[in-house]
Amino acid sequence: MVEKKKKRLSKVFDYLKHEDPFAKGVAFCAGCPLELLVRFIPQVLGNDIVITGTPSCSAPVLMGQNTGSWHKLSYYGTLMTGAAANATGLVRYYNRAGIDNTVICFNGDGTAADIGFGNLSGAAERNEPFIYICYDNEGYMNTGIQRSSTTPFGARTTTTQVGVNSRGKNLRRKNLAMIMAMHKIPYAATATMSNLEDLAQKLLKAKQIKEKGFCYLHVFCPCPTGWGVGPDMSIELCRKAVKTNYFPLWEALNGNFSFSKQVKKPKPVKEYTKLIKKFNHLSDQELDILQKDIDYEYSIIKAMTKLEKEIK
Amino acid sequence: MKTKLNNKSEVKVMTGNETAALAATLCRPDIVAAYPITPQTEVVEKLAQYHASGKLDAEIINVEGENSAMNSITAASLAGGRVFTATSSWGLVFMYDAILVTAGARAPVVMVNVNRETPGMIAVSSGQQDMISTRDCGWIFLIAEDCQEILDMVIMAYRLAEDHDIQIPVMVHYDGFYLSYMAERVEIPFQKNVDDFLSVLKQQPERTKLMPGELLGCGSHGILGGYMEMRHKHCQAMERAKGKFEQINLEFEKKFNKNYGGQVEEYKLYDADIALLASGSMCGTIKTVIDEKRKHGIKIGLLRLRMFRPFPNEKIVQALKGKKCVGVVDRSLCFGFKHGPICVELRSFLSDIGDTKILSFIDGIANTDIKKDNVKKMIDLIIAGSKGEDVPEVTWVSYDENHGGN
Repeated sequence: MVEKKKKRLSKVFDYLKHEDPFAKGVAFCAGCPLELLVRFIPQVLGNDIVITGTPSCSAPVLMGQNTGSWHKLSYYGTLMTGAAANATGLVRYYNRAGIDNTVICFNGDGTAADIGFGNLSGAAERNEPFIYICYDNEGYMNTGIQRSSTTPFGARTTTTQVGVNSRGKNLRRKNLAMIMAMHKIPYAATATMSNLEDLAQKLLKAKQIKEKGFCYLHVFCPCPTGWGVGPDMSIELCRKAVKTNYFPLWEALNGNFSFSKQVKKPKPVKEYTKLIKKFNHLSDQELDILQKDIDYEYSIIKAMTKLEKEIK
Repeated sequence: MKTKLNNKSEVKVMTGNETAALAATLCRPDIVAAYPITPQTEVVEKLAQYHASGKLDAEIINVEGENSAMNSITAASLAGGRVFTATSSWGLVFMYDAILVTAGARAPVVMVNVNRETPGMIAVSSGQQDMISTRDCGWIFLIAEDCQEILDMVIMAYRLAEDHDIQIPVMVHYDGFYLSYMAERVEIPFQKNVDDFLSVLKQQPERTKLMPGELLGCGSHGILGGYMEMRHKHCQAMERAKGKFEQINLEFEKKFNKNYGGQVEEYKLYDADIALLASGSMCGTIKTVIDEKRKHGIKIGLLRLRMFRPFPNEKIVQALKGKKCVGVVDRSLCFGFKHGPICVELRSFLSDIGDTKILSFIDGIANTDIKKDNVKKMIDLIIAGSKGEDVPEVTWVSYDENHGGN
């Protein structure tokens, strides 16, 4: 018997089934996609989520430094070193006590890729039943724009400056989403704020799949303040990042990769970097290195998607 | 050989580690997360064994490090669960940021710390330096003398930590190597009696719990007055913990017929002119030497610290008042002070104690045994001090400046 095809939700607004629990005028920089993301999640998943976070850009809002403009969510604010472990403790107890829960561990790339990477990997390996969302703004933005391990090659930050002895970051970025998928967790995916339907679908999928175990979502979140772009440019940057394959959208279910959006004719990465001040010192030669790195990462994902049948 | 005895389910010969694991199991924790480290490893193994056999009905989180152990159980505790972990030395230091959160959030966590020297030099050996290095983290610290006390103290620790008036995490310390691996006779109470003893907590008002969908949070930004208020309340609760621990000890005596004496244990102190102040496993040796010395007419007693945080200064002052000379034995160092850490703390109440000479003894560092001879040497110095003779304020008992440690 053929299953009746579910009616596809066509507009992103159709996914926003719940109230926005955040007050107006929260303490984010103008144009910050992180604000859009953190408002978006509970509107899609419901206001009964428990959100855990660490000192970061999201902290002033999530943990209530700005008590005049806050949110109505249940939250747990704690250390960068133990974010995933905290979420582990919460879900383990809720599940034991029979309390319905959706725990979202919501962290920046500093926590996820660097200082809290150990316990993120540990929670993934133990297949803990919660959703880990990393909003990647490619640096430690809350402390004033320092490099992280997801900062791309060539990018200027306050710890990878441009001068006689330095040309920005001279190392490649860590592909955290790929590393997490390599844990063969039930669900790993990338998403960004220009493709909101895709993001909403991935959030809903994660909510469903987290019953089986660990779900990881890597959300590309440009930082207008730290990258040197206008607040009106943040969504455009997300779009350009997808179209140049700088940030490809894919998902991996139990280690089976598939593209969520395949760009037919990807534009050169220069189309993306030219919009951003942190890259504006790069020579053609340096841009070429960055391009090669982007191509390398993309080719791995592409190869992985083709492996799907063999894995099955 | 198991013997059925009144008021206890069985008597077994167990190591300190096995006792700690069994004690936690008797308290029925919801969540257990622990990471192995010498000399604590057996605790983790035993908990896993009890879990596998169905004796321990808890969620076990096999964490990837101590930091995650403490972070996960703190969150589980704030969600409403009863939790347990065990660590030692480097592990305790690795969870340092997390134990500060546990205390700051007033999560009623209970853990055992098997005392071992801290990093610096790789010393896989006993010492209380780990305890001293974390003493200002806002936890309640209890110190056990023998395996039986480990069991009883863990049970009491849950009553203290989860008490509605206290709500402060409790760390039960016992000497690594000496107690962790030493097998002793341990009386195991009936599960029902432990349940009864802990059931008092259920009659208290329910503590605030982090629940999905509720407008509640943990770990908010505390700034200025709000932060100060939380800290002040924490300090007040610490003070209350002293009296509460005495009360819990009395209730424990009623239920299990054992009395350890509350915050401190006084041993032959009532008529003593001179005394030793010590803690942990060395007290067994000290008591033996005291018995011998008393046969020779030397009126000496022992004051054993069972509670280190909050510091039981009232009890100590009361017990030591009028003594001519008191020697404090420290198994750890207070860098920047020549005296041992417990001695430094005792000296801050010197004006309350009165005209008593205080000597500091540093011994038992990195598994150097505190033998009967060492204790005798300390007592000789105390006697000399009590007679007004010129004795050094600080003595490293097992260390000779010319020949090094022995």
